[in-house]
Amino acid sequence: MLHVVTGADRNHFATPLAQMHRDRKSVFIDRLGWRLPVTDGEFEIDQFDSDAAVYLLATDDQGTHTGSLRLLPTVGPHLLSEVFSDLCDAGVPRGSDIWEITRLCTAPNLADPRSTRQALLLGVVEYALLAGIRRYTCVTHVPYLNAVLAVGWNCAPLGLPREDAGVTVGAIAIDMTPETLSLVRGRTGQTASVLNWDNRRAA
Amino acid sequence: MAFSDVDQFVKSSARLTEMAELKSLLCDAAEALGFNYVALVHHIHFTTPEAAARSVQVVDYPEAWHAVVAERGYFTDDPVLAACQRSAAAFLWSDLPKLLPMTARQTEILETAATCGLAEGFTVPVNVPGEFLGSCSFGLATGRNLAHQALPAAQYIGCFAFEAARRIQELKRLHDCAPRAQPVPRLTQRQFDCIVLAAQGRSDWHIGQLLGIASDTVHQHIETAKRRFGVASRTELVVRALFDSQITFGDILR
Repeated sequence: MLHVVTGADRNHFATPLAQMHRDRKSVFIDRLGWRLPVTDGEFEIDQFDSDAAVYLLATDDQGTHTGSLRLLPTVGPHLLSEVFSDLCDAGVPRGSDIWEITRLCTAPNLADPRSTRQALLLGVVEYALLAGIRRYTCVTHVPYLNAVLAVGWNCAPLGLPREDAGVTVGAIAIDMTPETLSLVRGRTGQTASVLNWDNRRAA
Repeated sequence: MAFSDVDQFVKSSARLTEMAELKSLLCDAAEALGFNYVALVHHIHFTTPEAAARSVQVVDYPEAWHAVVAERGYFTDDPVLAACQRSAAAFLWSDLPKLLPMTARQTEILETAATCGLAEGFTVPVNVPGEFLGSCSFGLATGRNLAHQALPAAQYIGCFAFEAARRIQELKRLHDCAPRAQPVPRLTQRQFDCIVLAAQGRSDWHIGQLLGIASDTVHQHIETAKRRFGVASRTELVVRALFDSQITFGDILR
């Protein structure tokens, strides 16, 4: 199940959110070696995990975190504006209809990470249409760029990539239109909505 | 190359419908980046015309090099393709000895390339999950100097060109009503562990001891993987998994 978790809903999702921060540490720090701060020795939490963040949080039948991503409004501080603004050639794109995607991850040791990734992909497009988001921005490692482009949606680079801590990173924008949802649903063979807004059915 | 040129390339390539147009656009971009040659390829050695039709092959390399590759069968141990299995990050061909333990034949391949006029190059590996590995390589003619400052732009040109090629290929497939490419079967973590150990010559019993599972279970993992790949023997399974880059020589020989 894929939940929309806003700042006001955090208390309903305390357990899977804690698992999310633990899984983010395993994936980004332990496995990928990103230099990020660790909280209490087991959680990856940064300054953008604020009330402004909206999480798309996937859980299994037991309510355990299986994958997630973080959405931030670009009118406030976000990764691209605060850390990677030099990746944008013509300034950081900002606006109420532009949001940033960060911290996409699936739980380590999932038997089938593909279905979770697929749900997150469908969810992020659905959420855009429901929340009036016309464009996502994100910072990506260039080795992952083609996996993002291969979805077939409209992607534009925002500036030239550069080296950062041994890997090449770049900023891109992804346009969201009703056609994007048809495209992604067609590719995944999915017809129904994946997002769950009913927070009482949380873990 | 300025960012505006990269942006223009992305916009232009997204509109193309013919591979020949993409080749021409990509050759111009390679030149603007300070390179002389370019190759946008899926790492697949064609055994059938169907396989060739499903893959991306946009190549502008010296004629002399094409002839040598075909004659000496260089494809299978090309060090550039081997490095793409190990490195997700883009690399210079002159850095290859740092990326992989070069065999005598691989050293010979690089030296031969230089004599054919391909002295140095920059390769951007392209990995789309569930598909064959690919890459975009930019080649430099012998005697020309590398423009290091162009490499970030070259990475983006390579990535976006590859996606444009995938899209054109898909259009063509729809137009020809050709069957969709079968996705490459993926190994589970356990199948991967068992195949790597089997490739090291270990018995089911020994593999089971190392992984803490029963030897029957090891047998089952390997049999399931053989069925998925449609191969009859363990040797074929190892070769096929190596070919698809699902296991690497580094995994086996470590």
